[in-house]
Amino acid sequence: MPSRQGAIWIFRLLVLLGSSAPALWLAWQWYYGDLGAVPSEAVVHFTGKTGLTLLLVTIAFSPAFRFTGWVGFMIARRQIGLWAFFWLVAHMLAWMGLDQYWDWPWIRREMVDLPYIRYGVAALALLVPLALTSFYGVQKAMGYRAWHWLHRLIYVSAALGVIHFWVLTRADYLLPTLFAAALAALVLFRLIDAAIHRQ
Amino acid sequence: MPRYRYPGISESEVTPKALFESRRRFLRRGAALGMAVATPGLFWAPGAHAWPSVLESKLDADLPKHELAGGESLTSLRDITTYNNFYEFGTGKRDPEIYGHRLVTDPWSVTIGGEVEKAGTFALEDVLKGQSLEERIYRLRCVEAWSMVIPWIGFPLGDLLKRHAPTSRAKYVVFESLHDPDNLRGQRRSIIEWPYREALRIDEAMHPLTLLAVGLYGEEMPNQNGAPIRLVVPWKYGFKSIKSIVRIELVEEHPTTSWQAQNPEEYGFYANVNPEVDHPRWSQARERRIGESGRRETLMFNGYAEEVAGLYTGMDLDRHY
Repeated sequence: MPSRQGAIWIFRLLVLLGSSAPALWLAWQWYYGDLGAVPSEAVVHFTGKTGLTLLLVTIAFSPAFRFTGWVGFMIARRQIGLWAFFWLVAHMLAWMGLDQYWDWPWIRREMVDLPYIRYGVAALALLVPLALTSFYGVQKAMGYRAWHWLHRLIYVSAALGVIHFWVLTRADYLLPTLFAAALAALVLFRLIDAAIHRQ
Repeated sequence: MPRYRYPGISESEVTPKALFESRRRFLRRGAALGMAVATPGLFWAPGAHAWPSVLESKLDADLPKHELAGGESLTSLRDITTYNNFYEFGTGKRDPEIYGHRLVTDPWSVTIGGEVEKAGTFALEDVLKGQSLEERIYRLRCVEAWSMVIPWIGFPLGDLLKRHAPTSRAKYVVFESLHDPDNLRGQRRSIIEWPYREALRIDEAMHPLTLLAVGLYGEEMPNQNGAPIRLVVPWKYGFKSIKSIVRIELVEEHPTTSWQAQNPEEYGFYANVNPEVDHPRWSQARERRIGESGRRETLMFNGYAEEVAGLYTGMDLDRHY
């Protein structure tokens, strides 16, 4: 058995590897031309799915802590949350650069015209204040209560992300359904947990 | 009538066809040899594997070529065969390439029925018999805002329909794809109504641009592109060009297609390529040409307005999307 500190250190390393390995895989596929006929589209889809998955995993760290009581989940939560933010920013940049070729009039037009782009932009915009207030110093200055309230926006952002994915899907709702079900389970846990603790 | 022009760029410049062909023949011979050794009874059964040989002799002949994509360069064979929407194999773009080998194309027959004088079920070699194949280079525009330029091999659908003598009540032509959930894994989930169903108005079906395709790039149709026989309607969104056809029915009543049944707000009966009528969830004004960077402006009727606009005179294309 590693020591308590050692276990946390190993867990943080696993989060680092788990969150960055998809980027290595993507770079590898890109380099060897294995991303299919439209690599830019593959990059946009892959970064989006990875980002949304990590966002849901970030949320899942709280119930994981509740069930196990292991503090490692709370310590690594900021780290994985920032990785989710990184992947979703990469997703937006890939869409703007690789898919839209930095054609600003069209990027603006798509943002105005297409509901699923609006949901995606809103989901990412909500994560910006969370990323900015993720540092321990800021958290301390804000006070835990205010910080905690602000960071509940992650649920709203994840919901908008799932809606974004749902709306852009053409016919096969298997994957969006799985994301929606995972989010619903996490929200349900949160509500039940809060109800129990209020008693 | 279409303006027939010969291609400015031969497709041999895009893909080393001779090499491709010799490899295909080698593979075919190898497969035939293997089968002969393993199951001589099946291999020598009379009538077995009749249509590929009929097709092969037709493909080996010098086919008339018609370039009908404004001289735009051909999409590579690799892109045409690895980026497909063919939900029978799954909804991923590469699923048809990965799982396409499960499609059983031989033997194959097509049932032609409804409002025709000569109805029946016909082996594919009989459908092909007497049809003179030609190469037609068409643009293909998908409703998802991407496009390709493909050298199809086929014959006009109208030539086949005329042979079966449609009656005066034949107002629409309905097509059905193969339904075979054992081999077509996509059909095990009801993503869309199976079997896949498409339809054309009779004048659209009889239009000289409407093609029944049995090959592309000088070879028989790859499974992932709708082997052994598929429709190609170049001025409509790709989903109208139904693949792996097993039934052609001429009817009097307005039919409903699979995509209309799935989402009538988004997919109309006509589905003519139209940059001015957006899909409810995305723009149709531009398209991504596979293999190119940037975007192209989408052309009215996919660039075939001169030939087909007359079919829709007086129709409100906003309403009849």
